[in-house]
Amino acid sequence: MLKQSVLIALALALAVGGGAASVGLVLGSGEGIGAVSVGPWTAYPDIGTPEADPYSKARVARDGILALGRAEGLSFAAERDSDGVLLRRECTYRIEGSLPIARFWTLYATDKSQVVLRSPAQRRPSLNSLEVLRQPDNSVSIEVGARATPGNWLAVSGSGEMSLVVTLYDTPVAASTGISGIEMPRISRGQCDA
Amino acid sequence: MRKLLHALAVGVVGAGIAHIVILLLVPSFSERDAWSRLAMVAGPNKVVRLDADIGGTPVVKALDPSFFEAACRFDLSEGVVRIDNAGKVPYWSASVYDRGGENIYSFNDRTATDGSLDFVVVTPAQMIELRKDLPQEFEKSIFVETPIDEGIVVVRAFVPDESWKPTVSRFLDGINCEMQ
Repeated sequence: MLKQSVLIALALALAVGGGAASVGLVLGSGEGIGAVSVGPWTAYPDIGTPEADPYSKARVARDGILALGRAEGLSFAAERDSDGVLLRRECTYRIEGSLPIARFWTLYATDKSQVVLRSPAQRRPSLNSLEVLRQPDNSVSIEVGARATPGNWLAVSGSGEMSLVVTLYDTPVAASTGISGIEMPRISRGQCDA
Repeated sequence: MRKLLHALAVGVVGAGIAHIVILLLVPSFSERDAWSRLAMVAGPNKVVRLDADIGGTPVVKALDPSFFEAACRFDLSEGVVRIDNAGKVPYWSASVYDRGGENIYSFNDRTATDGSLDFVVVTPAQMIELRKDLPQEFEKSIFVETPIDEGIVVVRAFVPDESWKPTVSRFLDGINCEMQ
């Protein structure tokens, strides 16, 4: 009798504990269903909409996110460079290429928990398309790193992993039909501090 | 031994069921969602700044650092809610979220009449009533028809550079979110 109840307790504990732990693990991992990738950049066009999958819905509820609507814009985040290596704050990166059509876009860096990295020396933590210098063919080239560089420079500091986020505002790309066949800039790594 | 394996198998299947049940219940029971966080700092129809610029930690994750954001909660069961402001900024966008934080309607300044922020959130039933005799002050307003009673309105405004900060702050602080 005692053995029986121990077994029942074990099965229940495994069911409840395992279920809760696996939900926590999946929601914490940041990987999502419904992601659209363009090169190293990933966007979640459905997040925060009624069409989102249950995992996105749970994440929105748990983190208190108020996601951008379709008429507002679309965010692309990159955790890795174009060669597939994780982005690190100790390294310098060059973001090069052209961006999809939008009224304007912004670029900033975040840490792993999606908190915006404060940049040193009173620089703004973000760049936007109204202030960047452009190449003759209208593409952009932006340096990301701790050391000041001429041209477009997004200042980051500290060490550890980071993500780069490009948000397109008022863009036709945000309509679900527009997302295929768009072009996003390359991220190539320069030097790293040891 | 066989009984132990049986119990483990039942446990694993149960964990799968619990996973699905918990996942589907998180949105309805979360106390950390946007609505609950806003409710902790302000009552309904009060405009709250979401960005960190006002000091302290942001109420709700407001991600883009080149944006200032403001939000207010509304409840349509007692009347319609009008959100308006007379100011001008380079870009603003507005979203209506339901109780669970899902974006059900969004638009930006290019959608609005002469670019000014003025919209009214109504339920379909209230819309029918309003259409019968449209009040004069609603002439230029955008009507957002939603099937929900409770929700959140968020207005986001772009800050192109440092010099725009005071103007954009004033724009957001001047937003009304009143029951009509």
